[in-house]
Amino acid sequence: MQKTSQSSPSRRPDNTAYKQQQLPACRVQLTASRVLLCFFATGLSCLAMGIVLLLSAKGIQEVEINYTETCADCAALRENADNFDKECSCSIPFNIPQAMQGDVYMFYKLYGFYQNLYQYVLSRSNIQLVGTDVKHTDGCDPFATLNGTPIAPCGAIANSMFNDTIILSYNFNSSEDIKVPMLNQGIAWWTDKYVKFQNPSFNDLPSAFEGTVKPPSWSQPAYELDADTPENNGFTNDAFIVWMRTAAFPTFKKLYRRLHRTQHFTEGLPAGSYSLHITYNFPVTKFHGEKSVVLSTLTWSGGSSLFLGLAYTVTGAVTWLAFFSMMAVYVTMEKRI
Amino acid sequence: MTVPKEMPEKWAPAPSSWSQKKPSWGTEEERRARANNREYNEKFQYASNCIKTSKYNILTFLPVNLFEQFQEVANTYFLFLLILQLIPQISSLSWFTTIVPLVLVLTITAVKDATDDYFRHKSDNQVNNRQSQVLINGILQQEPWMNVCVGDIIKLENNQFVAADLLLLSSSEPHGLCYIETAELDGETNMKVRQAIPVTSELGHISKLAKFDGEVICEPPNNKLDKFSGTLYWKDSKFALSNQNMLLRGCVLRNTEWCFGLVIFAGPDTKLMQNSGRTKFKRTSIDRLMNTLVLWIFGFLVCMGVILAIGNAIWEHEVGTHFQVYLPWDEAVDSAFFSGFLSFWSYIIILNTVVPISLYVRWREGGPSARLRWGPQYPGVPQPDLPLPCSVEVIRLGHSYFINWDKKMFCVKRQTPAEARTTTLNEELGQVEYIFSDKTGTLTQNIMVFNKCSIHGHSYGDMFDLLGHKAELGERPEPIDFSFNPLADNKFVFWDPSLLEAVKTGDPHTHEFFRLLSLCHTVMSEEKDEGELYYKAQSPDEGALVTAARNFGFVFRSRTPKTITVQELGSAITYQLLAILDFNNIRKRMSVIVRNPEGKIRLYCKGADTILLDRLHPSTHELLSATTDHLNEYAGEGLRTLVLAYKDLDEEYYEEWAVRRLQASLAQDSREDRLAKTAVNIGYSCKMLTDDMTEVFIVTGHTVLEVREELRKAREKMLDASRTVVNGFPCQEQLSTSKLTSVLEAVAGEYALVINGHSLAHALEADMELEFLETACACKAVICCRVTPLQKAQVVELVKKYKKAVTLAIGDGANDVSMIKTAHIGVGISGQEGIQAVLASDYAFSQFKFLQRLLLVHGRWSYLRMCKFLCYFFYKNFAFTMVHFWFGFFCGFSAQTVYDQYFITLYNIVYTSLPVLAMGVFDQDVPEQRSMEYPKLYEPGQLNLLFNKREFFICIAQGIYTSVLMFFIPYGVFAEATRDDGTQLADYQSFAVTVATSLVIVVSVQIGLDTGYWTAINHFFIWGSLAVYFAILFAMHSNGLFDMFPNQFCFVGNAQNTLAQPAVWLTIVLTTVVCILPVVAFRFLKLSLKPDLSDTVRYTQLVRKKQKAQHRCLRRVGRTGSRRSGYAFSHQEGFGELIMSGKNMRLSSLALSGFTTRSSSSWIESLRRKKSDSAGSPSGTSDKPLKG
Repeated sequence: MQKTSQSSPSRRPDNTAYKQQQLPACRVQLTASRVLLCFFATGLSCLAMGIVLLLSAKGIQEVEINYTETCADCAALRENADNFDKECSCSIPFNIPQAMQGDVYMFYKLYGFYQNLYQYVLSRSNIQLVGTDVKHTDGCDPFATLNGTPIAPCGAIANSMFNDTIILSYNFNSSEDIKVPMLNQGIAWWTDKYVKFQNPSFNDLPSAFEGTVKPPSWSQPAYELDADTPENNGFTNDAFIVWMRTAAFPTFKKLYRRLHRTQHFTEGLPAGSYSLHITYNFPVTKFHGEKSVVLSTLTWSGGSSLFLGLAYTVTGAVTWLAFFSMMAVYVTMEKRI
Repeated sequence: MTVPKEMPEKWAPAPSSWSQKKPSWGTEEERRARANNREYNEKFQYASNCIKTSKYNILTFLPVNLFEQFQEVANTYFLFLLILQLIPQISSLSWFTTIVPLVLVLTITAVKDATDDYFRHKSDNQVNNRQSQVLINGILQQEPWMNVCVGDIIKLENNQFVAADLLLLSSSEPHGLCYIETAELDGETNMKVRQAIPVTSELGHISKLAKFDGEVICEPPNNKLDKFSGTLYWKDSKFALSNQNMLLRGCVLRNTEWCFGLVIFAGPDTKLMQNSGRTKFKRTSIDRLMNTLVLWIFGFLVCMGVILAIGNAIWEHEVGTHFQVYLPWDEAVDSAFFSGFLSFWSYIIILNTVVPISLYVRWREGGPSARLRWGPQYPGVPQPDLPLPCSVEVIRLGHSYFINWDKKMFCVKRQTPAEARTTTLNEELGQVEYIFSDKTGTLTQNIMVFNKCSIHGHSYGDMFDLLGHKAELGERPEPIDFSFNPLADNKFVFWDPSLLEAVKTGDPHTHEFFRLLSLCHTVMSEEKDEGELYYKAQSPDEGALVTAARNFGFVFRSRTPKTITVQELGSAITYQLLAILDFNNIRKRMSVIVRNPEGKIRLYCKGADTILLDRLHPSTHELLSATTDHLNEYAGEGLRTLVLAYKDLDEEYYEEWAVRRLQASLAQDSREDRLAKTAVNIGYSCKMLTDDMTEVFIVTGHTVLEVREELRKAREKMLDASRTVVNGFPCQEQLSTSKLTSVLEAVAGEYALVINGHSLAHALEADMELEFLETACACKAVICCRVTPLQKAQVVELVKKYKKAVTLAIGDGANDVSMIKTAHIGVGISGQEGIQAVLASDYAFSQFKFLQRLLLVHGRWSYLRMCKFLCYFFYKNFAFTMVHFWFGFFCGFSAQTVYDQYFITLYNIVYTSLPVLAMGVFDQDVPEQRSMEYPKLYEPGQLNLLFNKREFFICIAQGIYTSVLMFFIPYGVFAEATRDDGTQLADYQSFAVTVATSLVIVVSVQIGLDTGYWTAINHFFIWGSLAVYFAILFAMHSNGLFDMFPNQFCFVGNAQNTLAQPAVWLTIVLTTVVCILPVVAFRFLKLSLKPDLSDTVRYTQLVRKKQKAQHRCLRRVGRTGSRRSGYAFSHQEGFGELIMSGKNMRLSSLALSGFTTRSSSSWIESLRRKKSDSAGSPSGTSDKPLKG
């Protein structure tokens, strides 16, 4: 029952550093100098970083136009699902007091839209979207098939795609409205556009989508998403890809268009009065959601976020505070000893 | 002696099957077996001799094994989770996160079980098919063991294993004696004698045996190895049978040509099989705490689940119903309430990572695995907390190996390294508060040396300091040269030449002294070659005394039943041995009556001074006082003392006495339970007491009232006295008989309590035990003397019961087994008293002094590491899991996880397991020299400071704090921000990657902070884990994997896109800084304001100011006052009777080396009975609970 182990010739344990727990090692010690220095340095760099971030965030210009209220009529219309085929649009004039220099981006921002629900996020078929099998709708419940015909693109995410049309016009010379030139491509990740999303390989898109139906909420099939640019259709449509990259939080903004810097807009958006022409298709009021359009410039660290700058500044300040109090404690203790 | 070729029968772990399988007719009341009558015996349906230790066969393996595995809480819990995950409405993680590890674990366990069982089948087969000679129809036939039946007569030959429990009928030796080795049964390697009852010992021939038709009626099968009672009915007479007549299965026949036995118990009924398996399983206090914590965390999990479920119900009611345009409810869900219900289960699945369910310890009494198998108790439990049980077991296993490998705990003399026999108790070694030590043997190693003597009022041997301080070694003269004596034992040394002078000059008293020593003993001698004597003494003190006499020229050469031959200064003299009156605990002396060649009868006696000095002739009064002074002096030095005396008897007196004695011996009940008794001595034990103690209370009351009164007085005194703390670490005075260098930072205290067995029996009674305990705990040392093994266990139990403290018992003998098993930690000394204590122990080594290192270094480190490990473990899992909880408020409580599923699967297994494992195995706060130097460093363990409920909550709080920051800082950043190319930053996948990355970095930095001892391995694991994280991250998000499995690896391109953003890195850095800095600040402040000792030691270490601990050795001064008896010889009733009967004279003395009637497992029963007869029979040795 017990190994009495008398057999082995020498039972003396090996005298190795490992077995005798004498491995060469460095004993880490929280010495005062190290800790205080670390706090001082961290505080300094956090403060510096915070100020840099705050300054750069200050250079960002942003305009947000919430059109949930302004287009209340259309919203009311959309609340009734029977009116899906009725057109509804509204115009919102607004003013940009200062010219927005550089690249200007137009976002749509949704409030209270839960793109992160567990069932919602799952409801897509990557096999279909990568173009392998357009009829592959596994996991797309509850928007997998319509009367037995597979939906392409299937799933709840695709079905709920944002489909308002937003057109920005510049009131040039207070009489003439110029449509601001906008680009609807180059707004998605390269990997998404060229790896994750691919159209089924056919000569022409409509035949590739044969045997499938469009999602129930869509007004046109996938291959007609962009009438102007034929190659921006199907699963590789930029707006579609952007939508399919689901947001982490219920309030999110997604890139809609980029300013095409030509004509009057080579320097960005000049100051003046503008108007938004919105074809209102996407119902949000039913679940107490809101929609708005955001125009914004960017800096090296991305879009406007005072949070990061503020957080760094506060952290730096608090660290320094801690540094001084710890210094005080340390000095008193030293004296007492 | 030849070694049998065949493998010994394994004392196989007992599977549950046969211990539950009772005979179909119910419990057996008594057993009847008639020899040579199979028909008669068959009607009782006794178990056959076929044993089955295997659990499964091919058909039953899968169901039975799975059933057993799912009895484990952890496995069932994960099966339950798996079932939940298979329900599509509930599933919030894909099923593979649970099933893969579960199946893995089940398979590994099953394969292991199958292999074990295969080997059990094999060994069963081998054992069952061993051949034995069975007497069938008057002829001896070879039959496999399994065909042997109860009532068969079988023949055994030398060195054969006994096939079943046999009644010895006859043997090749005279008087029906035979010798057996019982190593397989009780671990004792010495030989034991068994004897057939006289009537059957005549049946030496097959023809006689074939006609033997006796019937045995005896007790039913039981597991008491040393007890048997039965009656043999033969030829109309009754013969009582005892254990002396039994040969048990598992024994080996030795030194006996052949013997015949009647099978009484076969197969599973044999005592060997009845005894196997089921060792009691010890668990550490941390394990017990973990059980509570696991339940609490489980409650916490349910609370979180309920909160989130309510949230879900409200959200679905307020928002979700309206959101159905985009996400209709599942068909099964018809109301917000039901949705909330489902989401409760979903969240249970997601958040289960907080529950270290696999830490939940089963309290099943040790399965077969308990002590026999090394390695993890839980081979692993599925993800997510898979590594925890593994880690805990791996860490403990590592610590056990460190104990085994420690060269400073290696005894060179015996070539024995220390051995951690259990792998589950290591950290408890760092929490020991009470040590119960056996005295005899354990502290003294039972090596006896003849040191001093006082002969006729003259003291010899005390010219030099006997304590043998090495510094004085050089001053010593050469030891006495015994070369004049060819028979001298050259290992014997003596320093005082005057004694030899006295012998040489022919001092009659000195001669008589050594003559007595050479005559009055029960030592057996063996002379292999001329002049090469080997003494086989039953106790080391006898051996020492006889050896002393031998070297001084009184050489005990040989003995026969009636004579003793002594070589007295060269001339052989044969004494006629008239009687041996062996030791027993009441007489406390041993006497021999011999007739010398001149025809004079003389009684030689040696024994306890207390007894002998009272019996001396009044005329020797002067001598008495001189001798008493010497005795006191010796006792004061910590020597054991023995008084020798002789008396001339005249012929008539002897005759008269002999007649009386004969009558008395006939009246003896031969079936009396024998009990290992060792005499004990208070004064000797007092070596634990030092002289700066204010008071030593001695409790010796004989009635309840007396004891109560004495205890009360002791307490009153203590209360009255003002307390002064004595500083320093006193060294124990060294015993001349021991190699002890120091005893654990022991008794610098003010009070000590000495209590003897009688009084202890009263003190342990229900109404007084608390009082006793309080008094005892107020003392720094308590010495219980003359206690029984049961009382030892009771004292341990008492402390365990009321003190909630960790107890450690250390001992070396069979009488310590109870105590070792009762205490939280049992330590066995593999010394001279057999290996029973070692077999019962959790840790074993060969010298008492190693205990210090075991506790102060290994125990302390184990505890420290385990606590650090657990703290970090809880921290990291809470930090990891609670993020889901916060995210719940932003995702409609839909049980969406924050991280990618692969991250969830790998977080615990790969990304964070190895660094913490390295810390748990290798961490050290202070070097080992310091922990030996400052025993106070041991205190946090005793006070349970490093991991308790408070620490647990601090870890949890830190984890939750981290999770809050981990979620809300990225949330704050992401909510508004976009990437630098305008595309969305706050998409779910980027968020997941950001949070996961900052989590991995934060917990890695945290482990870096926690690690106090950075070895190369720590560096490798910490940096390696980070590297592996990024490697796996990029691999998982690579195009290649996505192309192969688009649905499984949908995070394609995420890593390179997200981690290229400066905003993301700024977020990660900020999170790390904010999570870690408060911890650093907190620790620094604690270090400056309230440094604990280990911090200070580390600090002093750092500035190289080595402080030498002041070891103050307290010199002992002879205590005046009551006479202290140094009599402490652990004599047992020995061979006296056998020598006189002459029965064992044929046996080589080697075989007799340890012929003792030492009790084994059933001594408790006998003790209980004893106790009820006379409360607290004096026996045993002393316990010393030291408050360390």
